[in-house]
Amino acid sequence: MTRNPAHPRLTLAITAALATALGACSAPGESGSESKSTSGPIKIAVVNAQSGQLSSLGDWEYKGAKLAVDEWNKKGGVNGRKIELKLFDDQGDPTTGTNIARKLDSQGYIAMIGTAESAVTIAMAPVLQQAEIPNITSGQSDKLVAQKSPFLFLNGPTSTTYDTTLAKYLIEDKQHKNIAMITNNGSFGKGEHDAFLKAAKDLGVTPSTDQIVTTDQKDFSSALTKIRAEKPEVIFIGSEEVEAGLIVKQARDLGITAPFAGAAPQGTPVFMDTAGKAAVEGTIVSSPYLSNDVSPAAKKFADAYQAAYKEEAEMHGAKAYDGANILLTALDTSKGATGKKLADAIRATRHDGLLGDFAYDETGVGITQTAIGVIRDGKLVAEQ
Amino acid sequence: MQETLQTLVGGLSLGAVYALVAMGFSLVYRTMGLVNFAHADIAMIGAYAASTFYLTSKMPFVVAMVVAIVVTGAIGLVIERVLRPLENKDFDLMLIGTIGFGIVLQAVAILIWGTTGRAVPSPVRSAPLDVFGVRVRTYDLLVMAVAAFAVIGLAWFLARTKRGAAMQAVAMDHEAATAVGINVGRSNALAFSIGAGLAALAGGLVGPMLYVDASLGGALGIKGFAAAMLGGFGSIPGAVVGGLAIGVLDSYAAGHFQGYSVLVTFLVFTAAIMIRPMGVFGERTVSRA
Repeated sequence: MTRNPAHPRLTLAITAALATALGACSAPGESGSESKSTSGPIKIAVVNAQSGQLSSLGDWEYKGAKLAVDEWNKKGGVNGRKIELKLFDDQGDPTTGTNIARKLDSQGYIAMIGTAESAVTIAMAPVLQQAEIPNITSGQSDKLVAQKSPFLFLNGPTSTTYDTTLAKYLIEDKQHKNIAMITNNGSFGKGEHDAFLKAAKDLGVTPSTDQIVTTDQKDFSSALTKIRAEKPEVIFIGSEEVEAGLIVKQARDLGITAPFAGAAPQGTPVFMDTAGKAAVEGTIVSSPYLSNDVSPAAKKFADAYQAAYKEEAEMHGAKAYDGANILLTALDTSKGATGKKLADAIRATRHDGLLGDFAYDETGVGITQTAIGVIRDGKLVAEQ
Repeated sequence: MQETLQTLVGGLSLGAVYALVAMGFSLVYRTMGLVNFAHADIAMIGAYAASTFYLTSKMPFVVAMVVAIVVTGAIGLVIERVLRPLENKDFDLMLIGTIGFGIVLQAVAILIWGTTGRAVPSPVRSAPLDVFGVRVRTYDLLVMAVAAFAVIGLAWFLARTKRGAAMQAVAMDHEAATAVGINVGRSNALAFSIGAGLAALAGGLVGPMLYVDASLGGALGIKGFAAAMLGGFGSIPGAVVGGLAIGVLDSYAAGHFQGYSVLVTFLVFTAAIMIRPMGVFGERTVSRA
């Protein structure tokens, strides 16, 4: 049974590395690596989880990006060339992600859209930087900025932006003093934890309790009982859609009535469905895209999304749509450039998107503001 | 004190589900000597099936559960039938076969139900009971009761019915069982389908507590497998004790060690297995390979 120990990932990694190394000295005409052709369709990869607990994120992201690409293709593509979008499943797993990064390099993809999971994007960043493949991610962890890769761009604000806005609203506008925290120890949750804690302390409030859970925890009785004992006015939650939904559902069962406050995941339908409509009432959300009614452009996007996929658009689709549009605009203005030139073109792109006005700086962050919304009657509405 | 009790309640309700998963593992193992690695994914299929019949076909929850158990039991029969030629011949291949079936089931679930998964609203609408400040969800009580009935029912079946006794005989010595006229193949098929039915029961019950998607099996499988090991692989009472123990241990570890709870849970588990390798109720190590 173990006669021939199979290490598919390792084998794949070695193969990919060999392919890259050999690419430099391969004969012309070989469909080898590195050769980013200047004719034929432009190959762009979408890398996102299509399986596992984060697959709903991956699904929305792909739909948003695909919508943008389809629109461009309908207009005749970029620089007379069609855009070919291919989806890769990273399973929400950093190791799988790095393998895909090598594959993108060897198969001649010129840019990547995704992933929605900061940890996966961070794992892929060094490979993509070396291969000079620009990447527009939907992650929001501040650790993405810390990578300092000139090829890494965010299609939304960072956790710091989300949570500073949220902390200001809770502490300055609402005058809350007793704030509890519950976050998970994953890449996203840790980023949220650090960003919110710092923002709250800067405004002079130390959370009354700071509970950490794991990413695959199912029972939160212990943490929630501790939170209940503190009688907080509001509870900050830093966790992905499904887990956050379970936490809020269990909190209500334990008799906690205080509203929850969080960032992007708390505005999604998955979060609301998992927790139940009654449980999420009053949840405070910091988000760059509160609803499909915020602007005429958002309405147009939502209609197109509805027509294409028969479901309502939400923030992650909008982010990916913006990101894909920025990438395609940059490709257009740079006349189909690749590598460093493409990255520079993205940085130079000013885009009036669904999330706001994008203007990238050297950190790879293009947008630095969010708005506050509240869930009322199962819908996220802007807070006046 | 209140926190300790509340944590206990939370741990017990998930523990009851782990116990059901562990029972399915153990039943197949004691009968065939085989660890069915597809077991957790069968539970996932059961969860999806129950939620589909409940939400989409609008059946009452109980009916949806029964239909899901029957459907999933049939899947168990199919798996056993495919693996039967390997029975008592190549054990490694059979193990790998179950792993393969698990992957196939996950892929099938994604094909049928898509990647996004679904939330299942609780079929019991009443508010949680308040017992001296400890909140007990009525649905959790239902889960524990159903799990208890399943344990009693299975124990009765194995001890008091002819078919159950035949399964026990096959577990002890399949050649001798064949010699006295027991159809080993049929007995194994029965074990497999009951195991799959238990998985569907666990999956269907856990649906409203958690979130149903293709990765649900992973969440249930590892804890359920650990529960079966802890209780003594192949032992039905062991599976129950192991399941409840893992559930409660997990909840307390989460409370005290926060982000490191998984590490602590499995360190304790490892220590327990080192001290008592055959588990709490395991008397002997069954070796059929």
